[in-house]
Amino acid sequence: MLLTTFFLIVGFFIFNFAIRKSLSSKNYFTNNYNLFTSTVRYEKSFDLSKELMFEKIIEVLSNSDFKLVETSKSKFEILAISKITFKSWGENLYISFETSGNETTMKFCSVTIFQIYSWGKNEKNYTDLLNEIENSIII
Amino acid sequence: MAIIVNLDVMLAKRKMKLKELSAKVGVSTVNLSILEQGKVKAIRFSTLDAICLALDCQPGDILKYTD
Repeated sequence: MLLTTFFLIVGFFIFNFAIRKSLSSKNYFTNNYNLFTSTVRYEKSFDLSKELMFEKIIEVLSNSDFKLVETSKSKFEILAISKITFKSWGENLYISFETSGNETTMKFCSVTIFQIYSWGKNEKNYTDLLNEIENSIII
Repeated sequence: MAIIVNLDVMLAKRKMKLKELSAKVGVSTVNLSILEQGKVKAIRFSTLDAICLALDCQPGDILKYTD
């Protein structure tokens, strides 16, 4: 019984890690009913076009500590992951964009993998990304 | 914003593409596009120097102040 439970937990852990690097599993990880993740969502508006903002964030992520995993130009969605640390197994960062008037709203979502408390890592990811964006617009 | 960026005008005068300028200056096309729209937070003297060198112009040809 104990061994079965152990293998079930390990199997579930491996399953989560196997599917994390795909934008198609976004709904699974960001779902409020997923009890094995901790999610934070933020929004920020920029007075740049959606296309330019999309390219800019890709550039920022490529030059940061985050690892760019997948992008979808048709849906304007980006998936990046953060490094594994002693605090967490690394988080998935889902970034999408919406146009409202002359502005583009960046929708940021940081999700822990197989961890119900992020120890502030989700919030730190958002702060780090904003700092990277701020620094990158000094050319 | 009171500072107007005339990079697109200078590029047209020199018949140069943004991509070409990007390669000469060493600044990404995304950043040059943002500069073109006047949305950058700041511009380094080294970047301005490189742009002026590549476009053979003065800083005043790229940046203008209006009330």
